Amino acid sequence: MIAQRLAQAIADGFRQIGQIAIVPDPAGSGYSLCHVDDLGEMNASSLDLHHSPDAARDISTWAEDGHYRFTKGELSLRRGWKLVLADISELRTALDLFYPAAIGLWLAHQDGRLTVQTLREKLDRQTGMYRFARNLSTPGAQRLVQEVCGPGNCCVKKILWDIEPGVPLEPSDASRFPGYLDTGTPAIPLLCREACNHFVAEARKASKAEFDARAAAD
Amino acid sequence: MFSGPGLATPSIQSCTLSITADRYHPCRPTASEVPLGTCIPPAPAQLAPMSIAPKPTAALIIVGHGSTENPDSSTPYFDHADEIRRRNLFREVHCCFWKEEPSMREAPFLIDSEEVYVVPDFISEGYFTQDVIPREFELDGPTTRRHGKTWHYTLPVGVHDSMTGLLLRRAREVAPDVDPAQTTLFIVGHGTGLNQNSTKAVRDQADRIASSGAGYARVLDAYMEEAPFIADWHEIATTPFVVVVPFFIADGLHSYQDIPVLLGIETEVGPAASQREVFRHNPHHLRGKTLYYSSAIGTERLMADVILDQIADFDRTHLP
Repeated sequence: MIAQRLAQAIADGFRQIGQIAIVPDPAGSGYSLCHVDDLGEMNASSLDLHHSPDAARDISTWAEDGHYRFTKGELSLRRGWKLVLADISELRTALDLFYPAAIGLWLAHQDGRLTVQTLREKLDRQTGMYRFARNLSTPGAQRLVQEVCGPGNCCVKKILWDIEPGVPLEPSDASRFPGYLDTGTPAIPLLCREACNHFVAEARKASKAEFDARAAAD
Repeated sequence: MFSGPGLATPSIQSCTLSITADRYHPCRPTASEVPLGTCIPPAPAQLAPMSIAPKPTAALIIVGHGSTENPDSSTPYFDHADEIRRRNLFREVHCCFWKEEPSMREAPFLIDSEEVYVVPDFISEGYFTQDVIPREFELDGPTTRRHGKTWHYTLPVGVHDSMTGLLLRRAREVAPDVDPAQTTLFIVGHGTGLNQNSTKAVRDQADRIASSGAGYARVLDAYMEEAPFIADWHEIATTPFVVVVPFFIADGLHSYQDIPVLLGIETEVGPAASQREVFRHNPHHLRGKTLYYSSAIGTERLMADVILDQIADFDRTHLP
């Protein structure tokens, strides 16, 4: 049971995921969430108070600068809110809206049953307009990881996949990132089991650029 | 290519309108198999949700397209999930997407249940429902046993009979005072030369409404990107009143931003629906006619019932 294992993890001391601080209610079965940078103001009235787990979707849709956060691993969660949840079920619902499937992926990883797909497997199974992404060269793929992934590009998931069997990611901020912010608090990591569809879209563009460059050189 | 969930048995209980065999879905029974006339057509406004037995040990996954540009695109899917969750019919209800998170490959990690219903919250059968979704979920038929779970894959919501009543209900809500006999009703889809199925679902629904006795002077299908073009609505329609219902799941780029420009309501693409204070004001007096434009059919809360209808049909067909 994912919710029960999440409750146990919090009881064991995990109090953070992504940019969210998790604070269990010492007097009951509820939980409160806020941005990690607002933790010092958790009990202040300056934070906008929400009580429904559905509020997580509204809070996480737009970044502070107004851009749409379609990749939820973005390091751009806005501040200034506090979400009070009645029980572990509501907490799980809210966290699945903030960081979709992150809890289940982490638990599966802990159990050793998380399947990981290499980038080449991911690109090779694309069809339709994205099938051209499979033509991306390995050096091009290595470059793209550093241009799209990692904290420098606003994604803070831990990348578990290789480019292809026997070809790991080249060392970089993207490949080294552990999937959690180092605040000193035990954190549930955000895991990336295969390249996201945003990456595939970028791979398609990069593949086309490689093709155009080769054509221009010929 | 996966050929879809296969032949379905007659969905008599869920039928909301009389049908004729030539307008029936190809994945469904032929005229000889369907006892035509056995469906008693209720008034569309009285569309009644079909009962579905609770499935306290099963999960429901609603699959949507999603968008990297407009968050309104995924709002209906969450609304449909909320509505079904509220009814306590399933142990768990989740959403997953093609363009947003969680992805279809991540979705299995959301689920505790061993039995899972995967429902494409899509309008038509085609590339996504027959290629992408089966591939991403690793499905090989209507029911697949994989990764310790049993996966049931239903037809997309848009091809279900009960969608017809929903479209009629929306048409009447948006223009409650017009005389249908003086009104042309357009059901609008995207249209693409790449897949004929994408227009078939729209055309089928227009045909069903036309034969339903709803009384509209004409009920026509029209498209953004192929003929008949919705941009020509004022030339196609011969009546003084026109009602346009977008046959899309979400008020995303197409229904809220592109089609209004094609209709002439807007001169340029506006901001997303969620960034506006009010919905469009009807009616619009344009090009010598009175035009009523509704939001996308997928924003209708009763879409949750269509999802449940599709599951009930699946059970009757594949889990007798």
